[in-house]
Amino acid sequence: MNIDQPYWNPVLEQLPHEKLRRLQLRKFRTIFAWAYERSRFHRALYDRAGIRPDDIRSFEDIRRVPKVEKAMMRDIQRKDPFPYGDALCVPLDEVCEFRQTSGTTGQPVYQADTWQDWEWWAECWSYILWSQGYRASDRVFIPFGYNIFVAFWAGHYAAEKIGCEVVPGGVLDTQARILKIQELKATAMMGTPTYILGMADTARHKMDIDPAGLGITKITCAGEPGAGIPSTKRRMEEAWNAKVYDHAGATEIGAWSYECRHQPGGMHANEALFLVEIEDVDTGEIIETAGRRGKMVITALDRLAQPCIRFDSKDIIEWAPEPCPCGRTFRLIKGGVSGRADDITKVKGVLLAPASIEEVVRGMDGLGDEYEVIVDKLGDVDRIKLKVELMPGAEERAKEIEGRLKDQLRLKTNLGYRIEFYDYGRLPRYEVKAKRFKDLRKDKPV
Amino acid sequence: MDSGTDLAAINARIVAMKKTALELKILGADIPCIVRNTARILASLKMLEIGFSDVADLESGE
Repeated sequence: MNIDQPYWNPVLEQLPHEKLRRLQLRKFRTIFAWAYERSRFHRALYDRAGIRPDDIRSFEDIRRVPKVEKAMMRDIQRKDPFPYGDALCVPLDEVCEFRQTSGTTGQPVYQADTWQDWEWWAECWSYILWSQGYRASDRVFIPFGYNIFVAFWAGHYAAEKIGCEVVPGGVLDTQARILKIQELKATAMMGTPTYILGMADTARHKMDIDPAGLGITKITCAGEPGAGIPSTKRRMEEAWNAKVYDHAGATEIGAWSYECRHQPGGMHANEALFLVEIEDVDTGEIIETAGRRGKMVITALDRLAQPCIRFDSKDIIEWAPEPCPCGRTFRLIKGGVSGRADDITKVKGVLLAPASIEEVVRGMDGLGDEYEVIVDKLGDVDRIKLKVELMPGAEERAKEIEGRLKDQLRLKTNLGYRIEFYDYGRLPRYEVKAKRFKDLRKDKPV
Repeated sequence: MDSGTDLAAINARIVAMKKTALELKILGADIPCIVRNTARILASLKMLEIGFSDVADLESGE
């Protein structure tokens, strides 16, 4: 096998855009008909909208297909065929994998997959890992709980598929994982940005081990924004002396995007396996041009047991204006997923995306990785407070850092903040995904 | 697309493999080892169909 081949699938990843669009339309028609014929939930949804499989002839027709929201899935589940309910498109005995969402936005949604769907997950992740340079010579350490969340399960199977040696790091605590990476000379790793930074912190401050010397050359991040935030990516890369790559996926969707080795400041949408639409949050219009942010509506074109068809993901994305120098015709999502529509809130009348705060904090010399944002109200007036940690030795520069922090935050977010400094190690640490933004207002603005 | 990729030839082999796997599945319908392993083979073949046959069909106008 040619390990210098940059593409997992050079046919699809270099398919001219016009052919990609024809492929997407054909596959959408197929998955739509599949769901219409087999899922009571989807048939009812589409019958109410007056749209049937033969009506799908163009992308304009696709846009008339009603979207599916997470809340709709919650409503139909925990019923027969148990526990998936009416969206299941295969007999229960063909379901071989159960996973559920993390439940951060409400009752978890259950996800059924057949064996073919599970192979599909590994196939999606193979595009990701191959593009990031994973090869059979890699020893990949996966520090994840191997639990009920889909997380890095498919990353494990894709690494195997590519021919890597996989070291499952479940059950071990953080220090044991670091020792195992050291012992086995692992070359690659996967994790959430929070955990990758946390591991580095543990290595340095609890074990007197420099993570940059452990030999990890590449890290794939997923699960939360971070690897797409330049200052967070920089911190991870400096901590581990490794390249850090972003990926966005979801239990209900699949592994739909990936940052390639060129690190183009965005992620490729795998447009052969997914139809990604960007919807204007205010008008509902589909955005085809670069530079306009909107909400992602996505279809997994080959997922059968519990199809994902025009799923309203609430992720905020925009197309990049230029193609990637890697040569892939899969379009780039500029900057990755910049946040979720439900994370973006108004503070003092100004729209605020929490990721913009992270970019400032993690780009500031003298501050630790951890921070917390508290939004509350004094009377009728919104207030916003930022808690940060001063690195040891930076205490004398607190005034200067505070000034720069306030200036940068004003520039990036148009807001003024109260800043509270804490000694290093005083703010909460998170194991996997962080909850750093706390909105305490009872009547949050819509 | 890489000009060295013979999509039609690749697709022909995928189709042949799928046909063989389906025949084997029927032949060994009473043997769990055959039924379950051919199910996995067919799932892997589906990945090759997604990767190559779907494009080949597009180009042949099917």
